[in-house]
Amino acid sequence: MERERESELVRLCIEAACQSGESVQKWRRQRRSLERLPAHLADSLLRHLIRRRLIFPSLLEVFKHNAEAIELRGENSVDAEWMAYLGAFRYLRSLNVADCRRVTSSALWALTGMTCLKELDLSRCLKVTDAGMKHLLSISTLEKLWLSETGLTADGIALLSSLQNLSVLDLSGLPVTDLVLRSLQVLTKLEYLDLWGSQVSNRGAAVLKMFPRLSFLNLAWTGVTKLPNISSLECLNLSNCTIDSILEGNGNKAPLAKISLASTTFINEREAFLYIETSLLSFLDVSNSSLSRFCFLTQMKALEHLDLSSSMIGDDSVEMVACVGANLRNLNLSNTRFSSAGVGILAGHLPNLEILSLSGTQIDDYAISYMSMMPSLKFIDISNTDIKGMYPSGQMNVLFSAYCFMIVYNLFLHAYGYVIFPSSVLAGFIQQVGAETDLVLSLTALQNLNHLERLNLEQTQVSDATLFPLSTFKELIHLSLRNASLTDVSLHQLSSLSKLTNLSIRDAVLTNSGLGSFKPPRSLKLLDLHGGWLLTEDAILQFCKMHPRIEVWHELSVICPSDQIGSNGPSPSRTSLRASLVKQKQDPMPMSHSFLDQRLKYSREELLELQYSSLSLARPDDSSTQDAMGLR
Amino acid sequence: MKKEDTVKLISAEGFEFVISKEAAMVSQTIRNMLTSPGGFAETEHGEVTFPEISTTILEKICQYFYWSLQYSRGKETDFHIEPELTLELMMAANYLHT
Repeated sequence: MERERESELVRLCIEAACQSGESVQKWRRQRRSLERLPAHLADSLLRHLIRRRLIFPSLLEVFKHNAEAIELRGENSVDAEWMAYLGAFRYLRSLNVADCRRVTSSALWALTGMTCLKELDLSRCLKVTDAGMKHLLSISTLEKLWLSETGLTADGIALLSSLQNLSVLDLSGLPVTDLVLRSLQVLTKLEYLDLWGSQVSNRGAAVLKMFPRLSFLNLAWTGVTKLPNISSLECLNLSNCTIDSILEGNGNKAPLAKISLASTTFINEREAFLYIETSLLSFLDVSNSSLSRFCFLTQMKALEHLDLSSSMIGDDSVEMVACVGANLRNLNLSNTRFSSAGVGILAGHLPNLEILSLSGTQIDDYAISYMSMMPSLKFIDISNTDIKGMYPSGQMNVLFSAYCFMIVYNLFLHAYGYVIFPSSVLAGFIQQVGAETDLVLSLTALQNLNHLERLNLEQTQVSDATLFPLSTFKELIHLSLRNASLTDVSLHQLSSLSKLTNLSIRDAVLTNSGLGSFKPPRSLKLLDLHGGWLLTEDAILQFCKMHPRIEVWHELSVICPSDQIGSNGPSPSRTSLRASLVKQKQDPMPMSHSFLDQRLKYSREELLELQYSSLSLARPDDSSTQDAMGLR
Repeated sequence: MKKEDTVKLISAEGFEFVISKEAAMVSQTIRNMLTSPGGFAETEHGEVTFPEISTTILEKICQYFYWSLQYSRGKETDFHIEPELTLELMMAANYLHT
């Protein structure tokens, strides 16, 4: 944000100043200039030095007269010496040393008596203990304090009650007991309190209504079952709790805008939402919860974000979701019992829906045509489904199997550098297949969605032929495909997507020559080819050389064929090929259920031999041809 | 170039830089001075004095104005900044909104 406000020349100056260690030496002695530097320029310069790893403790000192906000999150070198310099920063307002594991309690001594410090983030500084808190007590200006997952005990937390200006307090992952929480009651300015994973129980929760301004409360992973009414509450997180009642009690109902109940178990499901003011609720997460009835949704007309994934919702409750209506922007129904019929009922009721996830549901291709009736959709996730890309049309036609054979045959010859059927012939053939067998390519329906930017089709049954309509989706920015039956044909079809920046085409049978002749869209930044088992290192390096702007992801090609065989499934580390060619360890990955992976069945040598046997199998008759080729 | 198309920028030490108005307008601050209707002395005489900006820095600023114009017309070259000038230039650029 702040970088945008910088003018162009300021940006160029900061870049020049942070070019190298030598350039820093050229300006660091200009004391008079440094003292005159306005705070936002000092902060910006410091931020760049940190990002470029050019900062060291004694260089910090030159900023002590003007820096106001310093972010050192995750810098392992930050230790007591750094803190000693930072303690001398007269105007420092905000200091973030989260995840700096060398910051200790005694290092915090340097901060004693700072007069302007309002925000301090010590999250996950494991060596900060109760002793460190004593040093902080002298900073009475502190308003925001993050202490998540530090080494504090209940005694240290109780000390915080003297920091009367605190409005934000993060005590998550700390042993906060009911007794300690009671001692913090004096912090009446508190607006934000994070207590996930603490030891707070119902007795402690009863104290929470004493904070008159509390608007954000996180009690996830605690033993709280009854939460009393807190009339100022706007955001509430009770995920992974077992809940009896929420916000029951006298007084005004809380103006809740966000509530997260992910993986929550309800003792009394009928009354789960009884005391909640639902008219203002814009965010609801009940994923993986124990809820089985969803009538409460009919009251929530303001919902914009609704997560029902892995819940018990199915087609029978779909009317409740449809009731939510016009405000809904983001709907997650993945891993539920939803089917195409359910999507059909939703269509027409959700005119402003932008994000829809139906991953892992029972939907089929008919659902796609219903999606085309949700005009605002930007992001569709239909991975892990039975989507085939065409309407099922009874028996598979002979022509279609012939087409499949052609693709496979072409592929093996391609690997050896021969081209028998050029792509254009195949494309023509696809249309012919479509025409003569009355197959409807279901993805064609999505052409109506003018805003569609992201599409996830991983682990579906789509094929080269049925992906054909994708080439007309001009607004597409992200596309994810993952399927062992995709070939160079699919890759080449995608050349025409002029706005595509991220393309993932995993586990596909892409060939070296196919990659070599691929003309990537000009906007492409990332190409994920994981599991492309026919590709060699040389071919990928060649591609990287030809298209230096594109980052290519692939497991390693320097490995022997036997290593590659185990390389299906998501690779544990996604190393950029350009960055390093380190040999990766391959973990055994769970097999996909949808198809038998041919790489496990045959070694590379056997596959190459199959190429010749495919010639002898080239009789137009039986389905065994497809079997042998791994197509079904 | 006609006189009314140019503007004179004067440094702290009194050095005068005569540059085209179009280039000077790259700076939002100078643009405001030259175009505001209030009848600033700057508007009438086409002269702006910068008592806070040294000659070296003002010269660099003028170079930047011309570079920026060319860059916006599609000539993609780098604008080199000597590290020892960065601090002062940064402050001047911040003041001039350029």
